[in-house]
Amino acid sequence: MARVVVLGGGIAGHTAALHLKRMLKRSDEVVVVTPNSKWNWIPSNIWVGVGRMKTEQVTFKLGPIYKRMGIDYRQALATTIHPEGDASGTSPYVEITYTDPAKDGEIGTVEYDFLINATGPKLNFGATTGLGPDGFTRSVCTAGHAVQAAEALKSSIEKMKRGEHQVIVVGVGHGTCTCEGAAFEYAFNVEHEVRAAGVRDMADIVYLTNEYELGDFGVGGLTFTQQGFQTTSKLWTESLFRERGIRAITGAHVEKVEEGVVFYEQVDGTRGSLEFDFAMLLPPFRGVDLKAYDAAGADISEELFAANGFMKVDADYTAKPFDEWRAEDWPSTYQVPRYPNIFAVGIAFAPPHQISEPRKSPGGTVIAPSPPRTGMPSGIMGKLAATNIAQMIKSGSTASMHTASMADMGAACVASAGSGLRQGSAASMTMYPVVPDPAKYPGTGRSLDDTFGEIGLAGHWIKLLLHYMFIYKAKARPGWWLIPE
Amino acid sequence: MDTTDESIASAPLPTSKTLRARKSLIAQLVRFMAINLKMLKIIRKEHR
Repeated sequence: MARVVVLGGGIAGHTAALHLKRMLKRSDEVVVVTPNSKWNWIPSNIWVGVGRMKTEQVTFKLGPIYKRMGIDYRQALATTIHPEGDASGTSPYVEITYTDPAKDGEIGTVEYDFLINATGPKLNFGATTGLGPDGFTRSVCTAGHAVQAAEALKSSIEKMKRGEHQVIVVGVGHGTCTCEGAAFEYAFNVEHEVRAAGVRDMADIVYLTNEYELGDFGVGGLTFTQQGFQTTSKLWTESLFRERGIRAITGAHVEKVEEGVVFYEQVDGTRGSLEFDFAMLLPPFRGVDLKAYDAAGADISEELFAANGFMKVDADYTAKPFDEWRAEDWPSTYQVPRYPNIFAVGIAFAPPHQISEPRKSPGGTVIAPSPPRTGMPSGIMGKLAATNIAQMIKSGSTASMHTASMADMGAACVASAGSGLRQGSAASMTMYPVVPDPAKYPGTGRSLDDTFGEIGLAGHWIKLLLHYMFIYKAKARPGWWLIPE
Repeated sequence: MDTTDESIASAPLPTSKTLRARKSLIAQLVRFMAINLKMLKIIRKEHR
């Protein structure tokens, strides 16, 4: 009998847990440790954030699903990993603190044969003074945050209806943020709602981003073929901004936020401030507060985790300049080198470097979008870890067989630009691979056959279809495993 | 860095025909199928 412990119940962790339970024998145990009681289809938080969906439509309770699937569910926060056990035994284990109301604050341990770290991000609002729901801006990172954003937006629209002009700022709240695609979606959904409310002329909407240019999306932008020409996501995105009348400030690091004012520095050293009535700025991410100790009790966290708190895996973490980055730098099995029975997937693994070219202002401020690794790549990594662990348990070997490097992985993204079955719109994009590989694809680093972008109502239908399909899959309904990640 | 708004101002605007096509139910139904096929192609690469 083997026990696999999955830390985290988000897209990567939940996908891994469901597949493990399907792939392993009944006698093998799958344990999920997550501080949350609910699963959240985060891509649809955008629609919660503009009041088009309710929390119940994007979340569901994990407990009943895990009970039905025979997965041991611990509503708890993992705090320390002991990969070699400790003085009292050699079995590796994780220390946890329960968040389950019935055991709140109790400390426990869970032994494991294999461990998957899919803890996702810590929303690091503290990196920027005044950022976040406890400060002066809104967020859509959780369903709860999105509900607050929707209420604030509604209040802003009411003011516009009463004749008050409003400045709306949407974007990212730090120079090292990721998920620019989500900020882009929210900006256009807000514009769509303001227009639908008949008060578009009363709103000045500004997109504030760390991307050096529009259309970067943290992946260095896309080049694709359109009507016989190669075009770029920059031109394509700028066209959409012009069409919808949204202004943009690019290459920006938000220094601080005060009530109604955001202060920023741009790549060229320019400093500026922007007064706002409503602002939704995404926070930067860092790894959750996990520590690791060896058998002797020595702290080995620095060996297992990068400075940003994400877990180091089979990547090449040698610091090198942008023009020396290679596709081979990226991990392929997501195993921790010293402990091959530990995997880190989804946002929890430490990328070797950015995908977009990192930049610094003359004053030394780093303005560098972090690599996006949510959604499709997260699900693929979760399934990969499950597949390899199942094979390792069956074969008794610790050698992984399957690989899924982001430099050999595609992604399909649908960025909503407004909701509605007849009036909705979205930018549909595919890219292959996510991490450009100029050696394989000279010129753009990506396959021009498999990289494309298109705007239209069809994209909205696809995003809606994905919403229902992935919630069905996550609920482990009949045939769930036939739905690809 | 004040060039982004200038760049937006000179970006190509879609024609009225393009805007109509983006909302046309028939055209978008065709695009829905075409985009899904493109996405399926990417997904198939992951499941080789």
